[in-house]
Amino acid sequence: MATISAPLPGIQVSEEGKLRIGDYLKWSVDHKIIGVQYAVTALFFFIIGGALAMAIRWELLTPALDVAADGTAYNQFFTMHGTVMIFLWIIPMMAGFGNYLVPLMLGAKDMAFPWLNAFAFWLIPPAGVLMILGYFAGQAQAGWTAYPPLSTMFSDGDGQTMWAIAIHLLGASSILGALNFIVTIRNMRPEGMGYFQMPLFVWAMLATSIIIVMATPFLAGGLTLLILDRVAGTAFFNPAQGGDVLLWQNVFWFYSHPAVYIMVLPGFGMLSEVLSVHARKNVFGYRAIALSSMAIALVGFTVWAHHMFTSLTPSLRIPFMVTSMIIAVPTGIKIFSWIGTIWGGKIRFNSAMLFGLGFLSMFVIGGISGVMLAAVPFDLHVHDTYFVVSHFHFVLYGGSVLAIYAGIYHWWPKVTGTLLNESMGKWHFWLTYVSFFFTFFPMHLLGMLGMPRRVAVYAPEFQTLNSIVSFASFVLGISTFILLYNMVYSLIKRKQAGPNPWRALTLEWATSSPPPAHNFHGDPVPYKNPYGYGTEAAYRYLEAQEAELGKSWPNLEEEPARALKPSSSPAGD
Amino acid sequence: MNLPKLGNTQKQGGGGFPVVWIVIGGLIVIVGGYLISLVTPSILPRAGSAQAVLIDDLFRFMLFIGGGVFVLVEGLLLVSVIRFRHRKGDRADGPPIQGNTTLEFVWTVIPAIVVTVIAIYAFVVWQQIETVPPNSQQVGALGQRYAWSFSYEANSETLPPDVNMDAVPEDVVTRISSEEGLTFTSPQLHTWVNQPVNVSMETDDVNHAFWIPGMRIKQDLLAGRVTSIAFTPIEAGVYRIVCAELCGGGHGNMAGIVTPSGELSGAWLIVHPDEETYLREFYYPELEKILYPPTDPALLGRQVIQNYPCSGCHILDDLGWVGVTGPTLNGIASRSARLTASGYSDMADYLHASIRNPGEYLVPGYNNLMIQFNADPAQPNYMSDADLDAIVAYLLTQTQ
Repeated sequence: MATISAPLPGIQVSEEGKLRIGDYLKWSVDHKIIGVQYAVTALFFFIIGGALAMAIRWELLTPALDVAADGTAYNQFFTMHGTVMIFLWIIPMMAGFGNYLVPLMLGAKDMAFPWLNAFAFWLIPPAGVLMILGYFAGQAQAGWTAYPPLSTMFSDGDGQTMWAIAIHLLGASSILGALNFIVTIRNMRPEGMGYFQMPLFVWAMLATSIIIVMATPFLAGGLTLLILDRVAGTAFFNPAQGGDVLLWQNVFWFYSHPAVYIMVLPGFGMLSEVLSVHARKNVFGYRAIALSSMAIALVGFTVWAHHMFTSLTPSLRIPFMVTSMIIAVPTGIKIFSWIGTIWGGKIRFNSAMLFGLGFLSMFVIGGISGVMLAAVPFDLHVHDTYFVVSHFHFVLYGGSVLAIYAGIYHWWPKVTGTLLNESMGKWHFWLTYVSFFFTFFPMHLLGMLGMPRRVAVYAPEFQTLNSIVSFASFVLGISTFILLYNMVYSLIKRKQAGPNPWRALTLEWATSSPPPAHNFHGDPVPYKNPYGYGTEAAYRYLEAQEAELGKSWPNLEEEPARALKPSSSPAGD
Repeated sequence: MNLPKLGNTQKQGGGGFPVVWIVIGGLIVIVGGYLISLVTPSILPRAGSAQAVLIDDLFRFMLFIGGGVFVLVEGLLLVSVIRFRHRKGDRADGPPIQGNTTLEFVWTVIPAIVVTVIAIYAFVVWQQIETVPPNSQQVGALGQRYAWSFSYEANSETLPPDVNMDAVPEDVVTRISSEEGLTFTSPQLHTWVNQPVNVSMETDDVNHAFWIPGMRIKQDLLAGRVTSIAFTPIEAGVYRIVCAELCGGGHGNMAGIVTPSGELSGAWLIVHPDEETYLREFYYPELEKILYPPTDPALLGRQVIQNYPCSGCHILDDLGWVGVTGPTLNGIASRSARLTASGYSDMADYLHASIRNPGEYLVPGYNNLMIQFNADPAQPNYMSDADLDAIVAYLLTQTQ
């Protein structure tokens, strides 16, 4: 499989030219610029979504309605919070990591379709603006799930229509991006890199992209029907004229359950990279981790109706319980494989690793509550309560967002060529980790004790727990700014990172930081095992890389691992 | 690739588990899971139904397993980060272990067995709670933004033993002796201990969800469909009824509340100790309100208005209503400024119009969200002229 060697059109910077901020503000087909564009756009919306979360928690400090103007305004808060966080933060952020890293990890010069890549990104800003502008037209207020008839006949504002059109655009962006990943991964691997020599992040992006291509068209179909019901007088979801409200629930969740894996699988991939590099140890059970991503992707298509256990025909509930339980098995394989990865390693507690370990320790709680929710009889009690809110924040914040943080600390030196401040990183981690737990764990109890989700007013007996949750969430909100400050500080301070500060074996590190316009100086040769730490061959490989690119760690306080003689490995590869 | 032999990789890596550690670790996991599962009663409301007992047992079992998994995973993580932390000056990498087929097989098969056991247990519980007992009390539930109303059937066989048919109006006699009987509604759901209840539900507008946390049951109300759920209360008491599906701005108000004076308002499940008490304290008095309607229209109105879903949106201290979506009804009869603004000269006319055609005049600051109550029985949200007159007469007594 040869890499593309012809020069790529449309890359304005010269091989040696330095990138300026202006280069990130205009159309570019360079996957690295697009990756950064995705990430910065997503971070912007993360702050908006976070501000909305703060408004929600402020309202819930007291049992009465006192912050939002009325109940509808409160509903708009959480509708936009959910939509922004899912469609404008996590999914684009993961696409940003994928764009930046997949071609580099494959030793390629760019994605397979650079123009399409740029086009997919540029659908996002207008979609985001359209969604926010809905505020001036009567913002969407039917929840991110937008169940009809609340989202059709009972939502007067045009904001709901704008919401649907915006998600339509974001879905199109997502599909185009995913097609690009599949083609790139299929065709642009370098000589000597079969599927089972790919970094696990690339595997995760492949599984994610397959889900996106298969599932997102269903969302598009559902949204089309919703828009038609709202603007063209059709009655797909209006029972009075022969429509069916369950049609939306089925179609919506047929996309939106797999969407959970769209949001978390890239995080799994990043975790495999981070844990292996910073524990200086081979990934344990590479094939199992790679294939379990595929298993999750496939089984993920058979579980959607567990979101409908209280509306689905009773006789259909048990089959979906069984499939939902099955999906715990490949997830468990991953968790145990990650523990196997760090077990026996030399764990370096830098910020990236701390967030990686934080992910592992919190995600498992989301997994346990997920199995509980899959059990139909217990779900009858906690469905649509704060128990569910807790569960999916453990998965999406404890999983996806902590993985994104780990990824930011891990790859920031590659993207910017500078190091983030480690002390600030550790403050960020501990504040986030502790406040995360106290924000979301008490929600389990609230749900079990009887508090439904999506309410602005609640019974007075829940005030103590809600106050704990709200105060912890304020700390969680503030902790985010440590990261943002650290980023700015790092870009001003410019502490040079060197090409490979972590001495990692994957190919994105086999070039300067930041990489030149066409990524590599010559054709990079991948090491046969992307995680083959602790072997003499890997040491020689990194030594040769250093001879070519310069010192790996010019500014780290402590020299990274460089095992000439692996501690105890008579039978290394 | 020259892989290390699978059988001895663990020993090579220096991370192997001697058998004694497996036994000790297993004990810690089991005891840890058991200790965690002991918190079950304190994190669930009192179990008020036969179904709740089964569901709580299932939860306790899952918490035992889940607690064990939690202790196992967090314990292994904790041991790893302490035992395998990087030490200053150590420049070596970890051992090149790539995997262990036996171990990977074990951690695939054991979770698969565990979830299979949970699934089978959950299925057994589901079969028991799904069955509707044949002698169930049939109650209708109507969900409307933002109130619940429950309907009870009455016919000539369910009349109070001391009924005085001479005092019952003629149309009520006709209805009650007809085949369908008559139905009356209440904002509360009443039943008695050990009586299975089958709630059959419909919605007038959007989807809602009928949830009684104390009974552990929940079922969505779906526009255009009739859905149902059954439960058997086992302990007398009052249990809050909650709407659990987002239904609009007043979603949080669509639940039972306790008023500042300590009275129950809105939707509650009231479980009487026995059938006799149920009949004496709820069924007969409610039925008698229809059998012997008060002659004073204001008193009749006070009774009739509670059959309509007004409490979810309006404040009315006299009846303990605390809804905030609509304007307050406290002192409504004294609001002469509003009367002028609405263009009516007579308060009774204004109130009539506000119920029959709520969008005609909107109180500043409120949206046109109120149900339009129609005079035509064929239309949805029917309200008879007699009921309307009585309600208006009652509202006219609400002066400041």
